[in-house]
Amino acid sequence: MNDLIKKLVEAYGPSGFEDQMRALIRPEIEKYADEISVDALGNLIAHKKGDGSGLKVMVAAHMDEIGVMITHITEEGFCRFTNIGGVYSHTLLGGRVQFADGRIGVIHSDRITDRSKIYGLDKHFIDVGANGRDDCPVQVGDAAGFHREFVVNGKMLSAKSMDDRIGCVVAIEAMKRLKQTPHDVYFVFSVQEEIGTRGAEAAANHLDPDVGIALDVTTTGDVPEAIPMAVSLGKGTAIKVKDAGMIAHHGLVQLMKKRASEASIPYQLEVLTGGSTDARSIQIANGGAAAGCISIPCRYVHSQSETVHADDVENSIKLLVELLAKPMEL
Amino acid sequence: MDIHKLLKTLTETPGPSGYEDQIAAVIEELWQPCVDTITRDRVGSLIATKRATKNGRTPPRRILLAAHMDEIALMVRDVEEHNGNGFLRVTSIGGVDTRQVFGQLVVVHGRKNLTGVVGCLPARLLPEEKQDKPFDFEDLLVDVGLPIETVNNQISIGDFISFRQPLLKLMNKRVAGKSLDNRASVAAVTVCLEQLRQRQHAWEVIAVATAQEETRLLGAYTTAFALQPDAAIAIDVTFGKGPGANEHVTHELGGGPALDLGPNVHTGMFNALKATAEELELNINIETHQRASGTDAHGLQIARAGIPTAIVAIPLRYMHTMVESVALKDIERAGRLLAEFIVGLDEEFLGKLAKGMMEEESKQ
Repeated sequence: MNDLIKKLVEAYGPSGFEDQMRALIRPEIEKYADEISVDALGNLIAHKKGDGSGLKVMVAAHMDEIGVMITHITEEGFCRFTNIGGVYSHTLLGGRVQFADGRIGVIHSDRITDRSKIYGLDKHFIDVGANGRDDCPVQVGDAAGFHREFVVNGKMLSAKSMDDRIGCVVAIEAMKRLKQTPHDVYFVFSVQEEIGTRGAEAAANHLDPDVGIALDVTTTGDVPEAIPMAVSLGKGTAIKVKDAGMIAHHGLVQLMKKRASEASIPYQLEVLTGGSTDARSIQIANGGAAAGCISIPCRYVHSQSETVHADDVENSIKLLVELLAKPMEL
Repeated sequence: MDIHKLLKTLTETPGPSGYEDQIAAVIEELWQPCVDTITRDRVGSLIATKRATKNGRTPPRRILLAAHMDEIALMVRDVEEHNGNGFLRVTSIGGVDTRQVFGQLVVVHGRKNLTGVVGCLPARLLPEEKQDKPFDFEDLLVDVGLPIETVNNQISIGDFISFRQPLLKLMNKRVAGKSLDNRASVAAVTVCLEQLRQRQHAWEVIAVATAQEETRLLGAYTTAFALQPDAAIAIDVTFGKGPGANEHVTHELGGGPALDLGPNVHTGMFNALKATAEELELNINIETHQRASGTDAHGLQIARAGIPTAIVAIPLRYMHTMVESVALKDIERAGRLLAEFIVGLDEEFLGKLAKGMMEEESKQ
């Protein structure tokens, strides 16, 4: 599975520029879907048919990643930029970005006069090696994702964009393992989550599911001075009860706990005080859906070294398969 | 109708946002005798329908009344052990006023219901910068007085915690308690439905006790989409007058319900409600909002192709605390106003709304 993870996390795909991600994921799932479509926003939607006795379930994992967009090229050929999604300057210095054509740029900042201070994004620039504005191959409006190699440290897996390529991996693996399901399941590899869960919103409006399950990362409380949280790396998949954007459907939470216990899948309960997921959009779409989230615990979210635990990934896949393979009484 | 008794039942029943089963069951029982059908939807809203009782258009026009049934609450964020005892760390559900959480009685909805108290270190034991300040949730804990083993056995992360507070009778037919936001409005809808039993109306009435208003107006968005009413009214509470309160955004307790004006409200709906109040010689106030009303109207209004929406608000002091106070009279008046308004709805109403004729009528 690490080969698949490496392929997805190292790929380019900031919000709004998910074409390459779609091209990577599609061949991975083609064999396991009854039909595949791409909607107007770019969501990749794989339908796995049920036997007619179940519910309509939308499973969402977002393929987009946080990144930057070029706003200005200086006369000397340096690129000023703004954020795409939650990009914070304290994660940037010494970092590298990759553009759609594979070109790499390095990030630095204007002269730092006060080393105790964090400067805004507008004080940073990207150097792609250009000799001047006319020589610069990058244009205003070009988007870039971060560039960082996937690293395996035993069971600890670190990379940029684990948020939410690891959710995509969980969805792909679950599709492979799910032999039969009573439910009409739509696996949505969604776009534009990082800028307001917009892809999932359109997909949910269109699909009108009974149940919505997002697969996404959640933060942990097990690192120094962390925001207190009862989720740790390596202690199981996380079943979301609440985040800053929604309260998960109570019946669905109970069902997830039940399925996890039955199959002896280690799980943790997640109460997240900041951030939200695609489930937020699915919950409120149309006449409403029972929404929940299977979360993969992840340290250092929205940095270039997002870190997950292989066991948590495996347990998340198992829980999703258990949930989808059996009837859902909510 | 004994509104005090009604409010006692409604406010003392727990119903945190996202955990509305118990309060929904109570409301279902109250509304059942007055309506034709009653169901709950996927997100937990309770939807009651009362068919038209007067001949008119087929199918009849439909008006949706939305009063949210959920209340602000707490949730278990972590369980902590100290000297063999179990303590709960919590987070808020909805806009809990942190100045007043310390010292409250709560019910933890674990495997079974457990009573607890919200504690914190005494001010003098807190770091100096935290003394005499509102509390951070990080410093608060819920103490259920049980050993860690029992706590771990009975309570999990993510369990809902509701506040526990009996309804208090104050002088001058006022009451104080928890979750009068928005059970006062659920009571007003109950009064309306009760009165409609004796009246003829040409429009179908959909009364909805919406879920998860305090967190994201969830029930308003979803029910308005699913039911596609021709018009809607959100019933909620508004700020009551009191010492120190800003005159122009507050309303006297007992001074009548407030009709809201602002972007979430269709002026024709406002005018029609105002005209009904004038016919009834019923005291009302007028309030305004500038951007979002902070009520279900915000979600109702933009469903599908848009829905003409109004807001009827009940003045309430000490919002989002355990001593929210209202005047019973305002609830009765709000219920009567809604009933009379519905009785007056006819085939021409929507046409008049569209042509802006309500304004003309109310001026005359």
